[in-house]
Amino acid sequence: MKNRVIKVVSGIMDTPIEKLDEESSPDTVEKWDSIRHMNLILALEEEFGVCFSGEEIVEMLNVQIIIETLREKVVQ
Amino acid sequence: MIGLSLSEIQEYLSRSDLSKFPEFQVSVLRNIMLEPIEPYLRYMAYQIGLNAQVKFGGYDNVFQDAVGGKDDLLSKNTDCILVFTKLDTLSSGLARNFTALSASEIQAEIDRIKDYITNVLSGIRKQTAALVLWHGFELPVYPAFGILESQKSNGQLATINNLNEFLKSKLNDDKNAYFVDLNLSLVRLGANRFYDSRYWHIGRAPFTREALLDIASEEFKFIRALKGKNKKCLALDCDNVLWGGIVGEDGLSGIKLGKTYPGSAYYEFQQEVLNLHNRGVILALCSRNNEEDVWEVFKKHPDMLIKQDHITTTQINWRDKATNLKQIAWDLNIALDSIVFVDDSEFEVNLIRKCVPEVEVIHMPPARTEEFGNILASCGLFDTLALSSEDKKRGVMYKAEAARKKFLTQFADLESYYKSLEMEIDIGFADEFSIPRIAQLSQKTNQFNLTTRRYSEADIWTFSNSDKSDVIYIRLKDIFGDSGIVGVCILKYEDEKAIFDTFLLSCRVLGRCIEEVFLVETLKLVKKRGAYKVAIGEYYPTRKNSQVELFYKNNGFEEVEPDRKTTTKKFQYNVETKLKPKSSFFKKINARINQSEKGKR
Repeated sequence: MKNRVIKVVSGIMDTPIEKLDEESSPDTVEKWDSIRHMNLILALEEEFGVCFSGEEIVEMLNVQIIIETLREKVVQ
Repeated sequence: MIGLSLSEIQEYLSRSDLSKFPEFQVSVLRNIMLEPIEPYLRYMAYQIGLNAQVKFGGYDNVFQDAVGGKDDLLSKNTDCILVFTKLDTLSSGLARNFTALSASEIQAEIDRIKDYITNVLSGIRKQTAALVLWHGFELPVYPAFGILESQKSNGQLATINNLNEFLKSKLNDDKNAYFVDLNLSLVRLGANRFYDSRYWHIGRAPFTREALLDIASEEFKFIRALKGKNKKCLALDCDNVLWGGIVGEDGLSGIKLGKTYPGSAYYEFQQEVLNLHNRGVILALCSRNNEEDVWEVFKKHPDMLIKQDHITTTQINWRDKATNLKQIAWDLNIALDSIVFVDDSEFEVNLIRKCVPEVEVIHMPPARTEEFGNILASCGLFDTLALSSEDKKRGVMYKAEAARKKFLTQFADLESYYKSLEMEIDIGFADEFSIPRIAQLSQKTNQFNLTTRRYSEADIWTFSNSDKSDVIYIRLKDIFGDSGIVGVCILKYEDEKAIFDTFLLSCRVLGRCIEEVFLVETLKLVKKRGAYKVAIGEYYPTRKNSQVELFYKNNGFEEVEPDRKTTTKKFQYNVETKLKPKSSFFKKINARINQSEKGKR
């Protein structure tokens, strides 16, 4: 799960995988702005076949929270 | 439409070498968040060989950007301007609070928006003449007065329709601006797949990705047509495409075709094919059958809508279809990339994609026969920006071309062949009747086109009205029929020089010495104009126009100082040089440009 999320983040934020970890967020990743955040959410929805609520979208502001939110939705 | 995910598109774009394609500058004026449309625009551009560069104006800065807010947003380098004016942002009253407004308040809003539209368009036009694609107002899915809306003539639906009509008429008055109907995308996808209300609230981004892909593909139908990349010929397989079953095995009465299921799916597909035919698309057959079996269906089957007369050329045999499609292109004198091939067989489809990748292929999946008509209609590959009277006759004209080719084989030498055609030529200045066709030829002609400059109707009007240029067309008629306007020449005058800005002929009429007569008559005009000593002809090489590289040289021009740095060739011609027309082939040459006293109409 973590690797898949980081791969998606890396693609959308145009940032190498090595530079990303669970703590990565708009504060640590330069290109993570509101437009790329929207693209990230849509890419995660596509990748994991889920749908986030508006409330979840505005809170998913680091990789750790993204993983936790996804865990609640994806039956493994 | 293609069902591609964003990651697939992004991977596709990053793998492809876009830099080899010409740049296409898109500027987006918008009052919503629209940045996520960029990859879809670049992908659609790539499909027609363009490298799109997308620039966004400021959020809700449509007016400011139109009148020159951001420096490099609109300029002479801009190729296309996309305008998105969502009503929710433009007038929250009309969009969200309609029931609270009085009649006079509604009217005031309508007037304000109409002024806004007028000012934005004229602001854009002060900066650039580029193609404008303005997206109309979407109709509300749940209009303000509910079921009363459909009974009222002044409800929210009527008000929005009124604004759309106004916008359409404004864009219509401009020769290079078009109305893009978002309601078509909305209807095709349904509101739930079109809107993403989460991002509307979080970031004022109203559309889903599916919607963005559909919108981008709609926009590129316009751009494809403007760039002359729309397709001309539909080559059809027969068995399991035009009818269900295999005529050679099931027989005339055994095939499925008619008003009831399952034959009705093929019947509807044929209706769609005829729709395209009526819009000027040439129909060809490319199938593995015994030819007489196929024609028996065409002649005798009561529900066969497509008739033999609709078909311009055929390759019905047992050879491979790649060879057959090349033969069809040769017969019609069109390029392979002007052909769309339709087949139900995965084998044939893959063969064509591999062997003749220039041909666009539509695969009709055998399990979804009911959708064949829609699949064909949804492709948008044949869409044109205007429908000229030539378009409607095109199938007939190309049929005449095929007949001419057959006729040619009866003659021992070319000269007697040319004479037997009884060709009549008419050369005149552009006027309001010919300009749509002239613009269309400028946008579509690839092979016999010396400079391949693409001009809109607006451009042609400008040249035609100017003292510094002439726009000339040539028409052709012969014993096989009237070919209409088949060539265009645009002369631009600078000091003592007359420059052939554009010289092109439709590929349909090549090989009949028409180009020589056309050149001679235009040179006569230059001489008659009096003020110009030399004529300059240029050749800009493209992938398709190598046949005209030596056109000027072969017709009495001299090449000037070959420049090693560019591939452009330049030729000049002293207007005092004696001309030798090959008019003996022609029954009649009516060069009206050289008859009237003043020169222009």
